[in-house]
Amino acid sequence: MTAPMTTGLTQQLAAAVDALRRVTVRVQASGTAASGAGVLWDAGGGDDSRPLVITNAHVATRAQATIQFDDGAVTQARVVARDRRRDLAALELEARTAGGGVAQVRGAPPLQIGELVIAIGHPGELTGAATLGIVHTAGGERAGRTPPWIRADLRLAPGFSGGPLADAGGRLIGINTLMQGGLALAVPAALVQSWLQRAQAPAAP
Amino acid sequence: MTTLLESLSNELATAVEAGGRAVVAIHARRRIPASGVHWRQGVIVATNHTINRDENITVTLPDGTTAPATLAGRDPSTDLAVLRLAGQSVATAHLRLDSSPSVGEFVIALGRPGPRLTASWGVVSSVAGAWRTWRGGAIDSLLRLDVSIYDGFSGGPLIDATGRVLGINSSGLARGTAVAIPVATVERTVGELLERGTIRRAYLGIGTQPVRVPQSLARRLELKNTVGLLIASVESGGPADRDGVLLGDVLLALDGADVSDPTDVLAQLGGDRVGRPIAALVIRGGQLQTLQVTPGERPERRAA
Repeated sequence: MTAPMTTGLTQQLAAAVDALRRVTVRVQASGTAASGAGVLWDAGGGDDSRPLVITNAHVATRAQATIQFDDGAVTQARVVARDRRRDLAALELEARTAGGGVAQVRGAPPLQIGELVIAIGHPGELTGAATLGIVHTAGGERAGRTPPWIRADLRLAPGFSGGPLADAGGRLIGINTLMQGGLALAVPAALVQSWLQRAQAPAAP
Repeated sequence: MTTLLESLSNELATAVEAGGRAVVAIHARRRIPASGVHWRQGVIVATNHTINRDENITVTLPDGTTAPATLAGRDPSTDLAVLRLAGQSVATAHLRLDSSPSVGEFVIALGRPGPRLTASWGVVSSVAGAWRTWRGGAIDSLLRLDVSIYDGFSGGPLIDATGRVLGINSSGLARGTAVAIPVATVERTVGELLERGTIRRAYLGIGTQPVRVPQSLARRLELKNTVGLLIASVESGGPADRDGVLLGDVLLALDGADVSDPTDVLAQLGGDRVGRPIAALVIRGGQLQTLQVTPGERPERRAA
């Protein structure tokens, strides 16, 4: 038999995972053994600016972290913003040694229940592992508001924390953060954006 | 350009959206509401084990409004409950009646454990023939699912990739594993519950336990089936007691069908058996004997 549909799907899934891996890093807080994942995020400073690394606050527990890129290159990074309540941290890279590329964030349309989602992480000894699931529930408590969490029917293992949750087009929709009641919870990318804007605003004198 | 992967994603979301239009939340227990399906106009189907009270039931409709519903009947044996919803315009479920699910088929379990719809996905992991639940309910086929169970799973619909309903999900029938009660069983049970409020079942008033008949006795009596059911209790004044079944009898067959497990007895006790004598083959005092027993109608919460 031939299965053109499934074959095509499999190839496209593999391609989407490959693309996501290139914007996913391993984050290891200095002086700790535990590591998580992180996402290369456009810092908004033009072509020559270094991207930020976005991860969970519970992954970047120290002021410094070691960042390992998909190609194996390693550099150091400094935490520039951390929010334990939102469980987010932003790190600035000391050097950009990898080939470039940042996660493409999905702005619109809003997430629909049942959409396919892909998560990338580094569980155990594995690097760049992928899991596939669907959006379990979407929509805020009140219409028009970004919900605090995206809930996905997806299995995350330790090591996925801080990594990307992406849609079927490979666009970033959230930062994987925890499992609760058998569901994966991710911080929506829109909340990361607004958090970053506030965190990077110049401090009041 | 839209890739296959994106098309699949869109189709899944569309199926969820279509199927979700008939999924309601039922407020009939503490804490988390249960899911239900608007099965026919004005009729909601849910799982019995998630409906904890008979009165003061409200439902949250897909548009977010709340309406009162009344319990039309429940059937613990198949874990189904039926509610009536008056005067609301809600989409009814689109049932898939023409073909049964296949092993490996993509399926989505929907729920509404609150105002928002939820979805989990997976595949049908096995399809087997008719079976009987631990409470004696007859279910047309055993649909086991490789789908995670979340809050709101039970009572929600299992839908196919086009949004058509394959059954009602329940985690209360097979030791906490995910199964779906097929559409045919739901249709039959809904019909009967709407008509009578309960599922009529015959009963004998006996408690049984499987026993192996000693080889010598089995040889002497020329038995083919060497496992029978020891009558371990007889309800005083019940149908079996009235018709002369004694404690210690070993039941071998009912209406010509061998019985070697208590569920075999349940299988003979459908609603149509009430008031019609059946032949019970027993061993009593080392001899075979046939008794005529007439099942009565089972009161609530009695098994056989």
